[in-house]
Parts: sequence; structure tokens; C-alpha cells
Amino acid sequence: MNVAMELINVNKNIGKKHIIKDLNLSIHKGEVFGLLGPNGAGKTTTIRMMVGLMKMTSGDIQIEGHSIRKDYKNAVRHVGAIVENPEMYPFLSGWKNLKHYARMIPGITDERIHEVIQLVGLQKAIKEKAGRYSLGMRQRLGVAQALLHRPSILILDEPTNGLDPAGIREIRQYIRKLAEEEDVSVIVSSHLLSEIELMCDRIGIIKNGELLSVEDVKDSQDDEENTELSVTLNVSPLKEAMEIVSSFPIKSEGEHSITVKATREQIPDIIKSLVQADIQIYEVNVEKTSLEDKFFERIGENTIA
Amino acid sequence: MHNFIALLQNENMKLSQRISTWIMYAILLVIILFGAVIEFFSESVTTTEVDDNWKEELRVETANLEEMNEEDEYMYGMFTDEIAINNYHIENDIKPLPYDAWQFTMENAGLSSMISLFTIIIAAGIIASEYRLGTIKLLLIRPISRTKILLSKYVTVLLFSMIMLLFLFISSMIIGSLFFGLNGLNPTIVQMSVDGPKETSIFGEIFTQYGLNMINLVMMATFAFMISSLFRNSGMAIGTSIFLMFTGTTVVAMLSNYEWAKYILFANTNLNQYMGNGVPVIEGMTLGFSIAIIAIYYIIFLVVSWLAFTKRDVAGA
Repeated sequence: MNVAMELINVNKNIGKKHIIKDLNLSIHKGEVFGLLGPNGAGKTTTIRMMVGLMKMTSGDIQIEGHSIRKDYKNAVRHVGAIVENPEMYPFLSGWKNLKHYARMIPGITDERIHEVIQLVGLQKAIKEKAGRYSLGMRQRLGVAQALLHRPSILILDEPTNGLDPAGIREIRQYIRKLAEEEDVSVIVSSHLLSEIELMCDRIGIIKNGELLSVEDVKDSQDDEENTELSVTLNVSPLKEAMEIVSSFPIKSEGEHSITVKATREQIPDIIKSLVQADIQIYEVNVEKTSLEDKFFERIGENTIA
Repeated sequence: MHNFIALLQNENMKLSQRISTWIMYAILLVIILFGAVIEFFSESVTTTEVDDNWKEELRVETANLEEMNEEDEYMYGMFTDEIAINNYHIENDIKPLPYDAWQFTMENAGLSSMISLFTIIIAAGIIASEYRLGTIKLLLIRPISRTKILLSKYVTVLLFSMIMLLFLFISSMIIGSLFFGLNGLNPTIVQMSVDGPKETSIFGEIFTQYGLNMINLVMMATFAFMISSLFRNSGMAIGTSIFLMFTGTTVVAMLSNYEWAKYILFANTNLNQYMGNGVPVIEGMTLGFSIAIIAIYYIIFLVVSWLAFTKRDVAGA
């Protein structure tokens, strides 16, 4: 698979604090990659290093084969980004905001600006001052400025921040469209799994500056056979039942129920053995182990600050 | 080069789309108009054609001045230059010209301190406002070096101050002409020079005055630019620059007993001290020395601005 961006042993120290620890990551062409982690995990620092706003202490980031450290101009040429909020010049019209950024990269014609405006659906408001835009409109203008120069990598830091559900849905469809139709790699960051789960192909979980794991979103949704399921059994008496299912990893225990991990294939066996032992089964509840569970498993539920 | 011009276009667009920029021009225009009105109704100004017995009138005036110059304890020595100039007029048979747009424009060279103030505000805001608005993050992620972006901002500040000076000159000439008339296209006046009174072109004199004021203006603007780049805060840059602008010369005067005071920037920025029969703030200072000191400060201001802008991370909110 083609690599659009590669992070190699990236470290960042600020003062004595080790903010980012040995980050290694590859972003493939045309994929939507989610950077997920609690606030303060290092997502924004990582993104700032990707676009050269912050210098890394050691390591390197290669964008389309150009090092952001040594060949900044050729590397950043391929990147379009919104870092944190989509901040625009409030005293300039939407059009002039775009014109401003268009002037900074050679070869962007007025036709291209119109094209991008159409793409994000801002035709009606483009002559208005950006200061009067709603957050959703500014988000669109932010996406427009990031797309002007046809980047191969689009970086959106917390793109759904402050948007209403309709806005989130729109951004999501939009990002998928870009990845699928224009072969743009999109990197989105978020502290909310539910918001990016539906738009990402892969999600990297980051905590305390470390990349804990990279999860394939499609895997956990499609692969029925081997998916780990949570099976909650409402049974009586509970103690004897627990002994019978003790060969399965126990996830949690309730007053009248027990939850174990098992695959789909194993469920009939569990029920059969419980029935044979004369245990009353009131309820069997099967749930997929969602990405959210994996997420919490990795970062620990109570550490989300 | 092409993209540097594009950067200048951008910076000028951001300046000209702000109302505050236009308010500055309006304030300057109002002050010029106000000055003209005051001057127009003031009695000490002769705008009418000088009549034939001007020599007699000038002698009487000179005699009065001489009396005040020697006897009045508060005004002692204040009129020496004026007396010398008057005598020069009489001796060389040069008819004094009535007050006109040229002289009005020359006097308005003093308004360049107003322009300094405005330029400081622009210089202080041009970097800091990008940080305040958060647009710095979008500005710096383009395939253009930070040095070039910084330079485009600095050049924009200088362009702004020059356009303002030009505006001051042109509107002074127009308003001056309307109120006081115009004595030809390039009249001469008698001014004090190093070797006593001399007849000089008024245009040259205006050019010199505006030029000398430019030095102070550029230095203060560059200082504000540096503070803006260093602290990313326009309030701080405006505050410190204006404070220094107003107290700088006073502090130098207070410290003028010390030899090292001559290394203070403000002891050197007023090059008028080497013109005419001016006296240097501290003994032993020369024009060459002052120019060297100004150049050293200027380079320090620019290098600090550059280091702060290009070498530091753009972090935080």
C-alpha cells in the first residue's frame, strides 16, 4: 500500500516534559485515519509537528517522501490543514480569506477558488465577512482553504468540535467523499470515538504521548466469525454458573448476571453446559465488543480527563 | 519574488480592510485642518503680501526681539536665531515671503510623531493579531519560509509609514494652499545653518525635516515590531514603544551627565542636533557616531524579531 505520510521515531520534549514518545505511524493514500485520545494526550502536538508549526526534538516526518524538517516547502505543499479551530480573518469576506491563502501558493486560479467554494457549499455567503459566519460555516471555509491547492493529505484537528449533529454528519460524508473520490488521505483527530468511528478506516489510539495501538475499524465490524462478543448471562444460581463458564475470560459480574467474552461459535456450547448442570437461564444477551470497549480497555476508563 | 509581492498584497489587504487603518488617516486629516484653522486666525502670521517698507517693519521687530532677548530673564537668548535671520534678510535685501502652504507643510513635519504613533500601532498588531486571531497557524503552513512572511510584514509596516508621510505632505500642501496660498513652486527661505543664516530651497528643507523624523519613526516602529514578534501581544508592544517614545528623550536628558548615556538610542535618534547650530545631547557625540549607534540598535531589533518569529514553536491556544 502506498504511504502518504510516515512518522519515524518522533519525539517531542517541552522543557523537561516528554510530550510525544517514539511515535511511529504510516498513513496510507486515500484512507481516513483517526487520531483518538483524551484531551492532553498529544494529538494537537502531533498535528502541529506534521505541518511544521512545532519542531520535533528527534525523529522525522516524511510527507510524500519529503522530510518536513529538511525539505519543509516541498513537504508542506502536499498538506492542507485546519489546526484546532477554523480561525479566519473576521474583517475579510469569505472570498478574500480564500484569496489570501490562494496567493500564497502559485498556480491557484480564481476558477479553482470557485470550485472549492462550490464543493463546500458556501456560494451564498462567500461575499459576507467571515466574522458573521456561524461555526459550521467557518468550518466549511476552513475546509475550503485546506483544499485550495489540491493536497494529497488533509489534516483536520477536531473537525466536529462545536458542530451540531447535522453538521457532524455533513463533515463525515464530506471526508468520506474526499477519500474515496479524490484519493486524499485524511487525518482527523478527536477525543470522542463515537464521532470519528463512522468516518475512519483506521484509528490510532494515543495516550500520554504514546501510540497505544492502531485499530482497523472495518475489522471490528465485518469479521463476524472471529469477533469477540460480550455474552451476558442472567442465571441462577450464579455461583455454580460461574464455575462452569470459568474457562472463558470473565468481563464483569453483576448481582444476578455474569458477562464473559466468547465468539459466536462458542455461545451454544456455553448454554448447553449450563442447561446440563440444571442452571436456570433467564436471559442471554450478546453484544459486539465495540471499538469503544477496546478504546477504554487501552486507555483506562477513569483516566479520561 | 513573485510570491513576495503576493505576500505584500495580502498584508496590505488585511490592513486596508480594517476600519482602524482608515480612522488613522481621518485623525491625521482632522489635525492638519485644525492646525490650519488655528494658524489662519492667529495674528502673528502674515499671509498678506509684504509691502514696500518691509525693511523698516523688520527693523522694528528685530529691535523688539533684541530687547526681549537681553532683558527678559525667561526668554534670554531665545531669539538669537530669529534676529540673525531678520538681519540677513535686511542685509541681503531678501524680501520675506508671506506665510504659505510651503511653510505650513514644513511646520507639519512635527506631525510625524503622530505618524510614529500610528505606525507603532500597526507594527505592534501586524504579528500579534495573527496570534490573537489564531490565523498564524493557517498562515505558516504554506510552502513559504517564515523569514519571507516576516519580511513581508515588516516591509508593509514601512510602506504604511511612508504612505502616511506622503499623505501628510500632500494634504498639508492642499489644505495650506486653500488657507494661505502658494508662493511659487519652489520658493527659498532663510534658515540657520552651521555657518550662520543661509538662503535655502524650502522644498529641500521640508525633505530634510521629514527625512530626519523618519529615523525616529522607523526605529520606534521596528522596536514595536520586535516586541510584537517576541511577546506575540500587541498591547505590550504598543505600551512599551509609546512609553519609550515619550520618555526616551527625558531619560537621556536626566542621564546626560554620564558618559555612557550617549549609547542610549534616544540620545542619537534626533539628528537635528547636528544640523544648523544644534548642540549634541552629550559632548563629543558626532553625526557618524549617532548613525553607527542607530544602525546597531536597528540590526539588534531586526535580528531579535527574526529569531523570535522563525525559531520558536507555534503552540498553545
